[in-house]
Amino acid sequence: MIENRNIAMQGDDVAENVRKAFEMNRPPILSIRDLTVSFLNNETWTPVVRDISFDVGRKETVAVVGESGSGKSVTAMSVMRLLPAETSRVQGSIMLDGRSLTQMSDEEIRDIRGNEVAMIFQEASLNPVYTIGFQLVETLVRHRRMMRNAALAESVRLLEKVRIPAARTRLNDYPHQLSGGMRQRVAIAMALACQPKLLIADEPTTALDVTIQAQIIELIKHIQQEDDMSVLFITHDMGVVAEVSDRTVVMYKGDMIEAGPTEQIFHHSSRPYTRALLTSIPQLGSMTGKSEPEPFPVVDHTTGEVTPPDPADRSVVPAPDPMLRVSDLTVRFDIRGGLFGGVTGRVHAVEDVSFDLFRGETLSIVGESGCGKSTTARAIMGLVKPKSGQIRLDGGELGELSAEMKVAMRRKMQMVFQDPFASLNPRMVVGDAIAEPIARFTDLSARGVADRVAELLELVGLAPDMARRFPHQFSGGQRQRICIARALALNPQLIVADEAVSALDASVKAQVVNLLLDLQQRLGLAYLFISHDMAVVERISHRVAVMYLGEIVEIGPREAIFENPQHPYTRTLLSAVPVADPSRRHMNRGLDETEIKSPLRSVDYVPPRLPIREVAPGHFVRQVS
Amino acid sequence: MLVSLLRRLIQATFVLVAMTVIVFLGVNVIGNPVDILISPQADQAERTRLIAEFGLDQPVWIQYFEFVKGALQGDLGTSYVFNEPALKIILQHLPATLELAVAATLMSVAIGIPLGLYAGLRPKSLPTRIIMAGSILGFSLPTFWVGMLLILCFAVYLGWFPSSGRGDTVTVFGIPWSFLTLDGLQHMLLPAFNLALFKTSLILRLTRAGVQEVMPQDYIRLARAKGLSNRRIVAVHVLKNVLIPVVTVVGLEFGSIIAFSVVTEKIFAWPGMGKLIIDSINVLDRPVMVAYLMIIVVLFILINLVVDVLYTILDPRIRLNAGRGR
Repeated sequence: MIENRNIAMQGDDVAENVRKAFEMNRPPILSIRDLTVSFLNNETWTPVVRDISFDVGRKETVAVVGESGSGKSVTAMSVMRLLPAETSRVQGSIMLDGRSLTQMSDEEIRDIRGNEVAMIFQEASLNPVYTIGFQLVETLVRHRRMMRNAALAESVRLLEKVRIPAARTRLNDYPHQLSGGMRQRVAIAMALACQPKLLIADEPTTALDVTIQAQIIELIKHIQQEDDMSVLFITHDMGVVAEVSDRTVVMYKGDMIEAGPTEQIFHHSSRPYTRALLTSIPQLGSMTGKSEPEPFPVVDHTTGEVTPPDPADRSVVPAPDPMLRVSDLTVRFDIRGGLFGGVTGRVHAVEDVSFDLFRGETLSIVGESGCGKSTTARAIMGLVKPKSGQIRLDGGELGELSAEMKVAMRRKMQMVFQDPFASLNPRMVVGDAIAEPIARFTDLSARGVADRVAELLELVGLAPDMARRFPHQFSGGQRQRICIARALALNPQLIVADEAVSALDASVKAQVVNLLLDLQQRLGLAYLFISHDMAVVERISHRVAVMYLGEIVEIGPREAIFENPQHPYTRTLLSAVPVADPSRRHMNRGLDETEIKSPLRSVDYVPPRLPIREVAPGHFVRQVS
Repeated sequence: MLVSLLRRLIQATFVLVAMTVIVFLGVNVIGNPVDILISPQADQAERTRLIAEFGLDQPVWIQYFEFVKGALQGDLGTSYVFNEPALKIILQHLPATLELAVAATLMSVAIGIPLGLYAGLRPKSLPTRIIMAGSILGFSLPTFWVGMLLILCFAVYLGWFPSSGRGDTVTVFGIPWSFLTLDGLQHMLLPAFNLALFKTSLILRLTRAGVQEVMPQDYIRLARAKGLSNRRIVAVHVLKNVLIPVVTVVGLEFGSIIAFSVVTEKIFAWPGMGKLIIDSINVLDRPVMVAYLMIIVVLFILINLVVDVLYTILDPRIRLNAGRGR
């Protein structure tokens, strides 16, 4: 498969491909052969990566893709020899430009690190207690033996190279003073300090918002061309793979499933696992022309057999009154400061938000960090106190109910959170976690509670005898199923899912989405689905609301939002989503450093109430200021 | 920064006022000094005269306001026993305690941090196991017993160090200090070590936990990926992050050494505040007790302030002027 280096010619960039073909004939910059990595676990060596072989050519981008536990990061770390020597063993050969990295002394490999091979990690990888300038200068002094002043000047140049505005003033900033995207730019600047031959990017965009992710990917591509650098890109996101890579290595549970040109992997893969991975990833645009939600097709990892989605009718039964009606909801947080703790600013988290949600319907709220989508969910659940507005559930106004009635109303709505591990008590067996609300709010006997727990576990696709296990004995997907079972314990009518599938691997994400759709159909649940993942939202929703800076800028039927977006922000959001189509790779979006705006305002700020107009039945758009 | 320091000062004033009330009432509850101070042979006229002289014939709240009035003028009352201003007596004994506390703190930091770093970096090596086992001893052995063993070993059998007293002192700014003479240092070593033992174990374990928390962080991986040497990673990238919690504990422990060095001072006959306060409680010398407690409160407030300032230097994420009710 490594031999397979034929390049798909495309009319408009023949010259580019000729240049690449020329580069391909030179020996690869990085060559990995029969790499096996073992970790010491309870006194035995367990292989976590087995017999991996691939090359990274000059000026080429190779993506290593796989789900968590596939060994993709371990592969990257072993190239840099960053794995702890006492508990890990690396076998096979890793050659950089003809020199063996595995045979080098510690001193020699340190001269390579950050110099010939540089690495970037997920966003929070800068030391929080040192300034940006300090950390940049450090690398320059280490490898390029620069004097402090020269290094500072060079740092400014590097920051400008990664398009950080006002680079000079940023040198004295600490990492927390920068946004996530800007921090990642700094890390890239640091990696570029010594003009490395190879850049290893380990999930560099995973923690970023989608528009920022698009910026960073574009920046890496741009710099790669500028500096003639090779890139080894580690990711779990097939969309990102299609955007960046020339060739792709697919890994699964420590084995290399296949390697080859990205186009071939995407369109002509023979391997069942690759096809399963490709089918299970939510792809934006795969629902075009359909108005109802649809589960993901299920692909068997070993046989490659595809089970098409259950073609049930998922339309919402029309009802005269909505189950949940939110009107003019506003949540603001005061920022206090000064000698007497006066209000110095205000976060306008949620501003004048109104929507209806009907029985059996899924309304998704999408937007980027700080847009107020989670605060809206928390306000509905009564976890934050709104400043004004009404929340009516089944006709009852939550703000006016007695404490007792409120508890009864709360039973009708339950929440599922993003991190399934953090939202389960690690010292409580899952059966008890699910039983807790049942025992508290119903008159069932101990026997009855146990039966109900078993029933719930079966409902979410787990075995009833798993009730006696602790959360750490489950995988991420199973834990999220347990959280869903717990949310269902009191037969709620509304489930508020706050990024409930965002932390899960692609194939697991597909399974949980399918479970949610299945439960909706069986139990007639309404979902308020909070997510930043446009592709999942496209699968699961009947209607979609787009939030920006605390306001709903566009709301309407899913089909209308995705196929006929009206508000400029909706369009930006949709175009930033990486598309799993390698043929679009050479499209250049242009470099951009727009930051996500903050909803923090001065005390006397009065939000403009821009009018909303109805462009089509049920499709509302806020006027652009 | 200035605003928050000012706010701190206002908070400190409230704490001080609250403490005067608690201390004054508390001290008034335990026993009547008249019974101890006045000879049983004294007749009733003599008793009444003395009670009036101490001001004990007045209701408690008038006594309190008299005390506050004096305190505002720098007068914390006059000792019943020494017949001298209580503040003066305390301040005479303070330097001895202070230098012992500083020595013990320096010792615990100098031993605890390097050992903690080592233990955190090589969690499975033999020296680490010995260090960790030793730290359990440091935690659990009672101070008075260790103190007596130290005297037995190093003073009685080996004769390396003296067993009691401050030794030669040098007077600077009218205050006698032991740490400026060799003899004084020799006298200080054993009691300081005795006090430092517990703190060393604490700092050691805290540093080790800190190292184990910091080492798997992405920024340490990034530092390694930059090609930095191990020494630089530990000394620059790990240490500063580890020091953040350590500084808090060192500060609080410094306060507690000053306040609770009683046992060690008693064993090594170190003429510090601890010994003074025990003696004063025995004879119910109220003004000295009150003055002592007030001094300790002020010291704690000062130490906390220093810790807060150090904090902002170490951790840029914490800014005193950020407000938020800090």
